[in-house]
Amino acid sequence: MVTREEHETRQKFGDRYAEDRTDVVRQIERAVIGSEWGVNGYTTVRQADLLAELLHLGPGMRLLDLGSGCGWPGLYLAARTGCQAVLSDVPLEGLRRALARADTEQVADRVTAVASSARALPFQTASFDAVVHTDMLC
Amino acid sequence: MAGGRTAFFTIHPAPGLSPSQRRRAHRDGPVAVAAHRPHRELLERAGFIDIDEIDCTAEFATIARAWIERSEHHHDHLVDLIGIAEYERRQRERRTQLHAIEDGLLRRSLLTAARPKSTATTD
Repeated sequence: MVTREEHETRQKFGDRYAEDRTDVVRQIERAVIGSEWGVNGYTTVRQADLLAELLHLGPGMRLLDLGSGCGWPGLYLAARTGCQAVLSDVPLEGLRRALARADTEQVADRVTAVASSARALPFQTASFDAVVHTDMLC
Repeated sequence: MAGGRTAFFTIHPAPGLSPSQRRRAHRDGPVAVAAHRPHRELLERAGFIDIDEIDCTAEFATIARAWIERSEHHHDHLVDLIGIAEYERRQRERRTQLHAIEDGLLRRSLLTAARPKSTATTD
């Protein structure tokens, strides 16, 4: 069952993730965040790198990114550290973009996307070594 | 390693606010600013250990300001892309949040915690 909150999230962010990623949009993101990953929030590249350090991410580690949007920072962390990543979010458009980017980054064999609300995750206990999210549970 | 680790950034009302300030923090913050208890306490209740919290509010304000300024700089392009109404809505929302940060109502924190191996879970 989809709650009203999930429906609104899917609508709001789905539309946003579907917007054209023009050169100017990439330029703005690069100037603000330091990246070109479709970020519209507040987590900078330096902060994403800090997450990798604090979570001791590396090859063989299993990371869950809740509210992953277009793959920031979970997909970035998989590409940077060699860990496996499961990206989880409600808007499908963001997950589609993330999986396309996983191909580009040549990490598709280590990245999975799951369309799910964080309130009802379809994972068994102890499925992950690390869990990350950025400004989702405020 | 313990049963697993979590690290996350979260935007939340500053501690010690009056009821009216707290209402403004909830109103002016991102839509998901909804927690009514400190995150450290929520993590403790959920069985996490080794909880640490770092205040990132200064960088939060810098980034919020940068989104506004860079978007203003590329006003014409963004209006062509998303329309004037959506452009103005986003800028208004960003300015409201920035004012709430500058007024000491909103903070952004990095929390880290570990899960003891015997109780490791993802839910």
